[in-house]
Amino acid sequence: MAKKKPEMKMVRIYIMGKEYKVPAGLTIMKAMEYAGYRYIRGAGCRAGFCGACATVYRKEGDYKLYADLACQTTVEDGMWLVQLPFTPANKATYDLNKIKPDDKALVNFYPELARCVSCNTCTKACPQELDVMDYIQASLRGDIAKAAELSFDCIQCGLCAMRCPAEIAHYHVAQLARRLYGKYIAPKAKHLEERVKEIEEGKYDEEMRKMMKKSIEELREMYNSRDIEPEEEEEAKEAD
Amino acid sequence: MYPKEFEKSIRKVEETRDERLKKLPERMKEKEKEALLKKWHPDYKPEAKRKLKVGVSKGEIVPNEVADIIEAYPLIEPKEIDLSQVDYEADVLIIGGGGAGTAAALFAYYNGIKPENIIIATKLRHGDSNTIMAQGGIQAADKPNDSPLIHYLDVIGGGHFANKPELVARLVLDAPLIIKWHEELGVMYDKKPDGEMITIHGGGTSRKRMHSAKDYTGMEIMRVLRDEARNIGIKVLEFSPAIELLTDGNRVTGALLYNLETDQYYVVRAKAVVLATGGFGRLHIQGFPTTNHYGATADGLVIAYRLGAKLRDMDSVQYHPTGVAYPEQIVGLLVTEKVRGLGAQPVNVDGEQFVHPLEPRDVEAAAIIRECYGRNKGVVTPTGMRGVWLDSPMIEIIHGKGTIERRLGAMFRMFKRFGIDMREEPILVFPTLHYQNGGIEINENAQVLGINGPIEALFAAGEVEGGVHGKNRLMGNSLLDTQVFGRIAGINAAKYAKKAKFGKLSLEHVEKYIEELKKAKIKKERKAPILLPDYRGKQVLSRAIDIL
Amino acid sequence: MEVAYYPGCTLKTNAKVFEESLINAFNKIGIKLKELNKWYCCGTVYSLATDNLMYRLAAIRNLIKTKEEGFSKLIVPCSICYNTLKQANLMAKEDEEAMAKINAFMDEEPDYDGSVEVLHPLQILAMKLDEIKRMVKKPLNKNYACYYGCLLLRPKEVAIDEYEMPTIMEKLVEALGGSAVNFPLKNECCGSYNVVSNKEAVVDRVYRIITNARKNNADAIITSCPLCHFNLKEMQKEVKKLHPDFVEMPVYYFSELMEKAFKEG
Repeated sequence: MAKKKPEMKMVRIYIMGKEYKVPAGLTIMKAMEYAGYRYIRGAGCRAGFCGACATVYRKEGDYKLYADLACQTTVEDGMWLVQLPFTPANKATYDLNKIKPDDKALVNFYPELARCVSCNTCTKACPQELDVMDYIQASLRGDIAKAAELSFDCIQCGLCAMRCPAEIAHYHVAQLARRLYGKYIAPKAKHLEERVKEIEEGKYDEEMRKMMKKSIEELREMYNSRDIEPEEEEEAKEAD
Repeated sequence: MYPKEFEKSIRKVEETRDERLKKLPERMKEKEKEALLKKWHPDYKPEAKRKLKVGVSKGEIVPNEVADIIEAYPLIEPKEIDLSQVDYEADVLIIGGGGAGTAAALFAYYNGIKPENIIIATKLRHGDSNTIMAQGGIQAADKPNDSPLIHYLDVIGGGHFANKPELVARLVLDAPLIIKWHEELGVMYDKKPDGEMITIHGGGTSRKRMHSAKDYTGMEIMRVLRDEARNIGIKVLEFSPAIELLTDGNRVTGALLYNLETDQYYVVRAKAVVLATGGFGRLHIQGFPTTNHYGATADGLVIAYRLGAKLRDMDSVQYHPTGVAYPEQIVGLLVTEKVRGLGAQPVNVDGEQFVHPLEPRDVEAAAIIRECYGRNKGVVTPTGMRGVWLDSPMIEIIHGKGTIERRLGAMFRMFKRFGIDMREEPILVFPTLHYQNGGIEINENAQVLGINGPIEALFAAGEVEGGVHGKNRLMGNSLLDTQVFGRIAGINAAKYAKKAKFGKLSLEHVEKYIEELKKAKIKKERKAPILLPDYRGKQVLSRAIDIL
Repeated sequence: MEVAYYPGCTLKTNAKVFEESLINAFNKIGIKLKELNKWYCCGTVYSLATDNLMYRLAAIRNLIKTKEEGFSKLIVPCSICYNTLKQANLMAKEDEEAMAKINAFMDEEPDYDGSVEVLHPLQILAMKLDEIKRMVKKPLNKNYACYYGCLLLRPKEVAIDEYEMPTIMEKLVEALGGSAVNFPLKNECCGSYNVVSNKEAVVDRVYRIITNARKNNADAIITSCPLCHFNLKEMQKEVKKLHPDFVEMPVYYFSELMEKAFKEG
């Protein structure tokens, strides 16, 4: 007797109001493709890094509005969804070399920061679960380091900016905060500076020319007898 | 949450953990590596590849899926394209908006090309690329116990000595300069409180020289470069991939772009063109899932080859040893090598070690495949997918509680979304299609090489080009490749463009290629570049008609 | 003794000297000002001027955080923040309907019931005058005009002292060995945010306030509000332009005086 193929469990989803039945367990992105959508907008890395697939949805019987990434969220029965592939948000133009990284810097470029009413809607909208309101507040009072730290995992999907009643473009503010931190506040790597100087002075040129001319046998010999830097305990002291 | 069937195996992993913390397996000797690769690496299956039938690299062995798009007709009928009406003009046209393309644009600007004369044409959005998904790090020999010469040796050995020496030299000598440039731009590399870069080992490295920004290294670099390009005002044409290059018979003179949203084509006239179109993961070589982004379909390879660009090392495909194997929703996605760099060991279903965690990628991948399919010591998931454990809780033990959240935030988040806590439970991995080791051949000036030397006015940078990594790329050298050669391409494209004039536009090279295809009896239905993969449900596709 | 302390945005940026001197001075009398782990811009007086409850969220959120961190009192030095938080707290205690709405909206936070006590540092200091006298190393020996401005005294529900004739700051000055002059314009509005859009009005006010202080023999003027401080201090050069015979007067935060008086040698 032929074995019957197990019935695939299906769920109902509503893509912009239209009902489709898709296999349970798919991500929203794969479910939409299953239903016949071929992405032009709304798909990027498909792995949760690029923010292209921002999706807003509600669940049946639940008034709350949810926001998440289509590529990282599993479909649920009764999901009503729409995608937000683009967020209009003005980015300030600046020359990082000309900015003084003081406590006014962020508010100067993004004065709308002062409109923040602490409603926390941005935090609720963030698919990366960042403390968005906290980094906006840190930016408001000029704490660049804190804003950089809290916003680091931001993928710039735009959901926060779309939901904000004060019309702040959070991720642009955070980008400036992080660049200011990386350039002015984090201490410079001295060893890097020294190595760059050595290279620019040509310290390795002669040896490199010799390396490039070595035969494969010679290289193989050198490669197989390399000493490998041991894996020591990394002291967990990091400039967080 | 793991299915019940996994519990026994996870128990075993936990039981052997203390012993395994004390010692690692030996690194393999060369002969052992070669035997392993030959038997178990997917690249060594002769039926998976074939010789190219057309073009300047005729006879070169490439994967079938790559041959399918190279031995393919153009998307357009050359005679139906009106090249007399030019839509855009640029001194430097950059095809591809990832790390390499943006670096090229910035350096073209630094070297005297005005922002309004630079165009980045990209298939999706600016930044949508493999760069933005790169996690673990970027290599540079900037510590006192390291030197570019040691880095050179690691690169060329890892590449099985097939790399072009002058390209490797450029890669390793420019590396510290790139990191310094990033520091100036404000990239937040992980640093110790005194500013020293925190660096770790990658697969195949003999020194700890992987720089990272948590496990969002690519994203951090990409968003800073993109921000800078926006500040400068460089024009970006999004959703406008190049479907052909244009030439005057001698040199490249521009490109034909296609607006994915309005279906119209754009004729772009340019003095210099930089190809930075990235990789080929979405071709799903040998049916493997991939870590690559949605648009990785080797477009640049196709259009440059039609123009006479030589291919190199295309027989070598990199499978990342650790792609997600469970849960099904994220199968194939990247689990960064940094997880192993921080101490997580690959472990089989019985809790045993079977390979050193940091062998070069091809060796590591082959070892995992052997463990699952040769020795049958893999874990089998409910969907039939096989994998081995990566014992991530070891990271918390070795480096202290909180390390995973702090330094592997992206990985932690990804698994948490699906109910797995990698701090407490091991994760399941299996090799996944990852990187195009070879590509269009360039020289150390990032000029694309044809059979008679450099193709005038054409440059390439990043994953699309070949020769830098030989037959196997080391972790952290791809981000480096995009930056080093993106920079060189930008500088040299600018230099060339300053002295060049606009040229005649034609598709004659495409017409010639069509003739060659016909002669080789290639099926007319095959068209390329494919631009985007098609994942629509089979049921839908079987009933779909193209009416509008 | 440790008390919860709310700095507000300005004490972290333009008025850093206020925060530093306040923390030092309180340390000397044995009180540790513990900054809240999480605090947010209070929304300032704008939040009080609208009917829209949304603008009260910021203030209420700070009070919720105070409770969450285990404190029942919150010290707020900036007059504007003090007034905003105090009024929000009053609303929380008295307006059930408003609080029901706010608590329903902030559904991820514990409900707030108005149980935190919002205090100004001067109120604490008023109860520690003996300790203060003991800590004085260098008595001030000068005449000071204690300028309250508006927000410490109005509306009367939030006033830190009798709003026509307050003496709380004067008593502090005396405990520090100084002499507090009686000056009628002590609770006259400095002009506040008008300094941005209607500078002349502020310049006029500053002229009258400082002149009045000087007429009553003050050597310096002290305040608790960063905006009053800014107006009184920075607009003096504008006053000078209009009134060449105007004599400038130094402006201090009351905590700076404490620091000065407590200093050795």
